[in-house]
Amino acid sequence: MKNNIIILGGGQAGIYAAREIRQNDSKSNIKILGEENLLPYERPPLSKDFLLDKKKAEDLYFHSSDVLKNENIEFENISINKVDFENKKLFAKNDNVYSYDSLLISTGSENKKLTLDNNLKNDIYYLRNLEEAKKIKEIVSNKNKITIIGGGFIGLEIASSLSQLQKKVVVIEIGNQLMGRIIPKQIADLVQNTHIEHGNEIILNKQIEKISKKNDDYEILLNDNSLIETDFIIAGIGSTPTVKLFENTNLKLDNGIVTNQFCETSIKDVYAAGDVSNFYHPFYERNMRLESYQHAQNHGICAGKNIAGVKTEYSSIPWMWSDQFNLNLQLTGICDEYDEIIERGNDINNGVIYFFLKNNKIRGACGVGVIGKVGRDIRITSKLTEKDAIVDKQILSDQNLKLNKLIQK
Amino acid sequence: MSEENWIEVGSTDSIEEEDLIRFDHQDKTFCVYKLTDGFYATDGICTHEAVHLEDGLVMDDEIECPMHQGIFNIKSGEALSPPACEDLKTYPVKVDNDKIFIKID
Ligand SMILES: Cc1cc2nc3c(=O)[nH]c(=O)nc-3n(C[C@H](O)[C@H](O)[C@H](O)COP(=O)(O)OP(=O)(O)OC[C@H]3O[C@@H](n4cnc5c(N)ncnc54)[C@H](O)[C@@H]3O)c2cc1C
Ligand code: FES
Repeated sequence: MKNNIIILGGGQAGIYAAREIRQNDSKSNIKILGEENLLPYERPPLSKDFLLDKKKAEDLYFHSSDVLKNENIEFENISINKVDFENKKLFAKNDNVYSYDSLLISTGSENKKLTLDNNLKNDIYYLRNLEEAKKIKEIVSNKNKITIIGGGFIGLEIASSLSQLQKKVVVIEIGNQLMGRIIPKQIADLVQNTHIEHGNEIILNKQIEKISKKNDDYEILLNDNSLIETDFIIAGIGSTPTVKLFENTNLKLDNGIVTNQFCETSIKDVYAAGDVSNFYHPFYERNMRLESYQHAQNHGICAGKNIAGVKTEYSSIPWMWSDQFNLNLQLTGICDEYDEIIERGNDINNGVIYFFLKNNKIRGACGVGVIGKVGRDIRITSKLTEKDAIVDKQILSDQNLKLNKLIQK
Repeated sequence: MSEENWIEVGSTDSIEEEDLIRFDHQDKTFCVYKLTDGFYATDGICTHEAVHLEDGLVMDDEIECPMHQGIFNIKSGEALSPPACEDLKTYPVKVDNDKIFIKID
């Protein structure tokens, strides 16, 4: 029997799920519904190589339309604005109705917005999709002094790119360190120094009181009464899972769509994957929501398998990266549950890594270094974490001793 | 095959098993690997972004880029895992008198 499988949200998790379903099921109809009028594309370059003109829009697609055609995967550009889980139907703004047997929700996440006077709403820019990236790129070409509100990954990556485009950049962060929620302060400070060395101004511990428009420019008043004059404002103050559509339904929500280790939601035949899902991680024995490239891909693939009937548990050790200037920062596992921290290296040119251990086993690690310098060790750390083995701390802390030795054991 | 194209990389004991060394020749960079069944060579720079693969992790027949975990098959050069999607160029390798040579075209 032919099944109708619908994937709601045409991003990274969605496309990987679609292709995985097809690998395991040659018969079912697979349809991706995406509100962006674009085939699924990579978002990481939007804040980096796309702004720097090193990558063009056409370089960002995961797969060409030919690949989708060959695999008989349909993509429709439509925005869904109502769901009826009971009757297994999705409704679009234009009155189209889509019936499904299995549904994957991969609607991703959306940027939090500043609460501002209405008349300034269209003056502040955010970056999530290609359209916004194009707009920012076009506008900044005529601007000089740019303010980024929020010192998280995306804000800092934009700050790094704009600095490389010779712009004068100010970053305002409300917390007492950059990338506050997840990155150890020592690493945040190393990244901050690099921004300062390249001429970016970093303001920590300050809140915005008011933004006012002066002709074509802006004045930002901070809570210590200092004033920042700027030509253009971009905000990157975090994101929330895209779940508005499901708020008045039976679907269980709690910081995203709650799923188990098989990507199953609280409703039968409805799955969720990627940024939007708050999934149970069997290794860490807790729920988590991740916003990362590797996770969107692997979680999508896992959902695809489960939808196609190949029961598969998702237990990937989390991993993400951020590129700023000549630095590559990487994070693996979780860094908020530990009873011991071990430091490896102290020079950013050779890479610096902090390992987070609990009961002598690695739970996660965060490293930063000049491009290429932490990747191998972080990758080995993911493997060590997965093995759940008691590790030799001497090897972890001594950069002259290769971490490979620990996996070979 | 003319003999001139074979370039000496170093001695066979300069690479540990399941590891690689970087080899620069004129303006190009290569990676030379020692796997359980012999020596192999590829371009030294990832096809995704310009990052040296010498800092990557060799696992079985694969090299994983240290920047974004793109994975390539060392023997065929095939890009196996995104964000890497373009294959890596590979080069013939021979061993003569405990010395490794690669053939650059
Ligand atoms: C600027 C930027 C830089 C990043 N850099 C990095 C990085 O360096 N490293 C890293 O690991 N991660 C990075 N990420 C994170 C990574 O890109 C995301 O985690 C990943 O894209 C999530 O994939 P997803 O499929 O869950 O969601 P998305 O890729 O966001 O896809 C969701 C799609 O669903 C669509 N949609 C939502 N609601 C509806 C609806 N009602 N109807 C139809 N369609 C709908 C959306 O428009 C969107 O196209 C970055 C993200 C951004 C925005
Ligand atoms: S630079 Fe190698 S995968 Fe990105």
